[in-house]
Amino acid sequence: MSESILETKGLSKAFGGLLALDKVDLAIEAGTITAIIGPNGAGKTTLFNLITGVYPASDGQILFQCTPLKDASSHKRAALGIARTFQNVLLFGNMTVLENIMTGQHTRSRYGFLGAALRFPRARREEEAISLNAMKYLNMVGLGIKAQHNALSLPLGQQKLLAIARALATEPKLLLLDEPGAGLNALEKRELSDLIRRIRETGISIVLVEHDMPLVMGLAEWVVVLDSGQKIAEGTAAQIQKDQRVISAYLGEEVE
Amino acid sequence: MLARVKSKWTYLVIAALLAFSILIPFDWFLGQYTVLMIFIGIFTMVTVGLCLLMGYTGQVSLGQAAFYGMGAYFSAILSKTYSVNPWLAMMMAAAATGAFAYVIGYPFFRLRGNYLAVATLGLGVIIHILLRQLGPGGPDGMAGIPYLSIGGFAFDNYFKRYFLVWFFCLATLFISQNIVRSRTGRALRAIHGSEAAAESIGINVDQFKVKIFALSAVYASLAGSLFAHNMAHISPSTFDPMASVVIVVMAVIGGLASIWGAIFGAATVAILKYELLLGFGEWDIVVYGLILMLVMIFMPEGLFVGLRELFGRWRLRYAQRGAEP
Repeated sequence: MSESILETKGLSKAFGGLLALDKVDLAIEAGTITAIIGPNGAGKTTLFNLITGVYPASDGQILFQCTPLKDASSHKRAALGIARTFQNVLLFGNMTVLENIMTGQHTRSRYGFLGAALRFPRARREEEAISLNAMKYLNMVGLGIKAQHNALSLPLGQQKLLAIARALATEPKLLLLDEPGAGLNALEKRELSDLIRRIRETGISIVLVEHDMPLVMGLAEWVVVLDSGQKIAEGTAAQIQKDQRVISAYLGEEVE
Repeated sequence: MLARVKSKWTYLVIAALLAFSILIPFDWFLGQYTVLMIFIGIFTMVTVGLCLLMGYTGQVSLGQAAFYGMGAYFSAILSKTYSVNPWLAMMMAAAATGAFAYVIGYPFFRLRGNYLAVATLGLGVIIHILLRQLGPGGPDGMAGIPYLSIGGFAFDNYFKRYFLVWFFCLATLFISQNIVRSRTGRALRAIHGSEAAAESIGINVDQFKVKIFALSAVYASLAGSLFAHNMAHISPSTFDPMASVVIVVMAVIGGLASIWGAIFGAATVAILKYELLLGFGEWDIVVYGLILMLVMIFMPEGLFVGLRELFGRWRLRYAQRGAEP
């Protein structure tokens, strides 16, 4: 097995008395597509929030490229190379499509208030690079002609693509997609699968939380199943589909 | 989008406005309004800081008059009591006020929305009371503040100070415009759009909020210093909590998310306050409220954007009529 890009060891999160995540051990192999599935309330989004540092873990640790993240804040993790999308998309509605992606380049540029205020040559140079890179990601998700539209004027499917482009613009090593397929039609889902594969080919490791089983089974090389905060199974798509515990978690059968 | 296209009309309007504003302080033109225009310039500087904070970053402040007053008092005390060069006093005031805002910004921006509004309101009340109780002259304030001068050239009349104030005002507007259209500006707007998403792409949300708060304080402080070196006399009542509310009214009327709108907002309120509503006494606040409501209903993005759209629509209709046989 090649090197892990991300590992969690005994990762737990309690909200008051509720144990949302219970001693989860994960190892995400670099350069792969991993899916995390599980019924509602299994702790999938909580896992994402812990990895991206939205809130601290109650116990356990997260290693990114073999280095513990400890309590690094969200924006520091983004700078390290962990990007994500959100279930509820969360685009910047006060900006155009292109500006949304340009904002994604934040950590890949340096100039600050003074450079901006006085338009230093360095600021202009960086600004040019930001626009060029943003166009690249815009075209990658096929939204080139919508560059100047308001982000929220796009239909949901394109908004989700834009959110992925914005995350890509941070030039991540690990991309976490939270239900990228939700609300998309069959055609959009096929395009989404293609896009995710193309992203993987650029060397970015992908973890996705998804409810759409055909999408997951077609994409993921490794599937992790969570239920009530615990990892109940992991394996290839084919292995998972035959796993009794997984079937019972989804269909509510008793395990003998 | 329509009105954004820069046409010969836009340049014509800008050139006309520029020529008009250069001529204003001449006695044979609108010389009697020079002082009013100076006030508008000073208010614009405070307002544009609030626009960056509220309109672009989405953070409320009901205490901007505190920084405005700190700038005025620091400048006055340093230059009058300690005989510091007024320019240096102005810069020291801006640095001190900015640093103060930066330090209190960290605990402040743990709060959001209404709680932040109340905290900043509290700051305004506290600073106002401190100026009354501890400021030289107490409630009467201080007089005899020296004018600014460059070499032997003193800004000793309103005509000269008109150009001085508007130089600072336009510099502030240009700098703000540049910030808005930059990486920093996008980060600020991202925070307004979604703090969670902004963090997720590497924007240090807390730090940006504090920095823009400090910048708005520096603007207000510079405006306060200009006020002090203009009027030669200051008193705490100019910087009371009501002044903070008036600044918010200016920002909203001009358009929270528009830099140049700040001039419109400041001008509207200043003209009402010092010209049209003089007879109303304390009832003027009722008229502000009424105007605020009307602007919010008919031009929710403020006068600047509202008028620009109106102008654009009028131009379109004009063009269509011209195209008809």
